[in-house]
Amino acid sequence: MKNTSKKEIGKEIISTTDITKSFGKFQALKGITSKVFEKEVVVVFGPSGSGKSTYIRTLNRLEPHDSGQIIIDGVELNDDVKNLQHVRSNIGMVFQQFNLFPHLSVLRNITLAPQKVKGMKRSEADDIAMSLLKRVGIPEQADKFPSQLSGGQQQRLAIARALAMQPKIMLFDEPTSALDPEMIKEVLEVMTELAESGMTMICVTHEMGFAREVADRFLFFDEGLIVEEGTPDHFFNNPKEDRTKLFLSQIL
Amino acid sequence: MNQQLKWAYNTFSGSFYNTFITFISLVIFGFIASNLVGFISTSEWAVVTENKRLLLVGRLPQGEEWRAWSILWISSFLIFSSLNIFVKPSIKELIFISVIFVSVCLIFITQDALFNVIIFTTLSLGSYLFAKYISQTPYITIFRKLLVFMWISIIPLMFLVLIIGDGPKPTLWGGFLLNIILAGVAISIGFPLGLLFALGRASQLPAVKIVCTIYIETIRGAPLVGWLLLAWFVLPKFLPEFWNLNETSVVIRAMIILSAFTSAYTAEVIRGGLQSIPKGQIEAADSLNLNLYTKLTLIILPQAIRVVIPALISTFIAVFKDTSLVFVLALTDILQVGRIIPEQDPQFFGKALEALSVVAFLFWIVSMALSNLSTRVERSMGIGTR
Ligand SMILES: Nc1ncnc2c1ncn2[C@@H]1O[C@H](COP(=O)(O)OP(=O)(O)OP(=O)(O)O)[C@@H](O)[C@H]1O
Ligand SMILES: [Mg+2]
Repeated sequence: MKNTSKKEIGKEIISTTDITKSFGKFQALKGITSKVFEKEVVVVFGPSGSGKSTYIRTLNRLEPHDSGQIIIDGVELNDDVKNLQHVRSNIGMVFQQFNLFPHLSVLRNITLAPQKVKGMKRSEADDIAMSLLKRVGIPEQADKFPSQLSGGQQQRLAIARALAMQPKIMLFDEPTSALDPEMIKEVLEVMTELAESGMTMICVTHEMGFAREVADRFLFFDEGLIVEEGTPDHFFNNPKEDRTKLFLSQIL
Repeated sequence: MNQQLKWAYNTFSGSFYNTFITFISLVIFGFIASNLVGFISTSEWAVVTENKRLLLVGRLPQGEEWRAWSILWISSFLIFSSLNIFVKPSIKELIFISVIFVSVCLIFITQDALFNVIIFTTLSLGSYLFAKYISQTPYITIFRKLLVFMWISIIPLMFLVLIIGDGPKPTLWGGFLLNIILAGVAISIGFPLGLLFALGRASQLPAVKIVCTIYIETIRGAPLVGWLLLAWFVLPKFLPEFWNLNETSVVIRAMIILSAFTSAYTAEVIRGGLQSIPKGQIEAADSLNLNLYTKLTLIILPQAIRVVIPALISTFIAVFKDTSLVFVLALTDILQVGRIIPEQDPQFFGKALEALSVVAFLFWIVSMALSNLSTRVERSMGIGTR
């Protein structure tokens, strides 16, 4: 069933030690310690409000963490702008609401960052963008605007946009939750292909079929903590914690 | 059914209520139209025809008109070639533009200006056709760039034409020329300044935010006339001596005040646009590692400004009309000319209505052109909206 089992997991690339994050008085993360290895696919799931989004958003500092330590690809995430840029240039992110740039064409959505951040020439960026659009299956949409695409196509474009910066790590925050059921599959297919190509991925998702197929490891979040961690088999066959059992029984 | 029939059918056959409204509108429209025609045909227009010069350029000395004419020629080239390249009017709009064009020429034509009006007409028509021709050749991209560049530099260019080679004192600028120049300066300085203030007010640096907020709220807190009066009495004390600004002119003072005023209003309009940008846009830009400058100029501002184009153009139209308030600085803009002549020249006593309606007509043309532009720009940008 699991076709990625032969994949070689590499060295450690993300390490968080006891990170916390509060919004006002509310503590959304209460001490998260985790490690992710190169080429690993980690699926994060748990109840609403458990801190899943907050966790992956601290990894590229969209939310600065309050305490603890985050090291990505050997670089610590802190106030240092150089470090931040290094980390962000290695991490791509895909959002639940796509967050495409509505005033730019599909092609420009992809080429903007390579041109402006990496200083790539337009023709070169165009080539890369076209090959990425082919990879996610929408090369014929290049000259349209995001609002003219279907939801599934928009999310695939968002994935292509993130990939254009050639990141080592991809973060997905519920990439299919805003989609109609018939479009979920096409996005999951792209993500599966990406996982098989050896991309390091952290996905917040409740698509358990997909998760079971591609994930190397599950993290179960509840109330700002990682309650349980293990392989998909572990979770589907004999989860330890009561909270995990309860949650799985609700979503499966 | 053809279009007209359909229109007539829809208009006249709806419910009783629709018919009623249509009928009332037609009556009102007919009433106004017949009165208007009556007014135009029975009035004495000498008050306008004899004072064209004052209305258009104020007290610009004899022998200096070529400056005004050159400005008109440059503008007509710009306007009419842009019309073809950027606006692409429909036949209906072309007819409308021609009617207005001809009425303006008819109102202001005189024997001594005949030659200039002919040049003006030829140039306008020529530019339009030239642009049409060039848009079919590969030179179109260069021409387009040239036009954009000229639009950006039109105000400095106007100044140059007015000042070059020992031009007349700015206090002598007047009439519609003054309104146009004041509005042009106010908008082209006020807009970029307003952009900065809007960004400053949205900034996270407390000091910047406070300074910008105070500036905006102070300027908006008093009427323009109040600021202009302040400029009359107070500004000279602050202006640096060495520029000789004190004597140079109240025109400069009016420009400073109008620009400041425009910038404050523009800033608030743009701030509204900035607030309409979803947080996700900024997060997406951050996650792609875009720097602040790129984020602002390529992601945030294009979207923010697009949203507020109607409000922005409204502000510009308001500023344009507000330029007539400079009469408190003893400047004679077109409205002031239109008011003074029927009061002070015995020959034209009681002709205020004729004079003022021509003034209103000129204001209306510019305002309408601007608001039309706004709809155009909006429509052409509509494609990429969410
Ligand atoms: N910017 C914020 N300001 C205040 N509270 C926040 C903010 N972001 C998140 N929170 C709170 O932190 C908690 C964790 O939020 P988070 O978005 O990480 O949850 P989640 O696990 O992703 O939930 P969901 O499945 O609904 O997306 C929630 O209670 C939320 O209300
Ligand atoms: Mg979430």
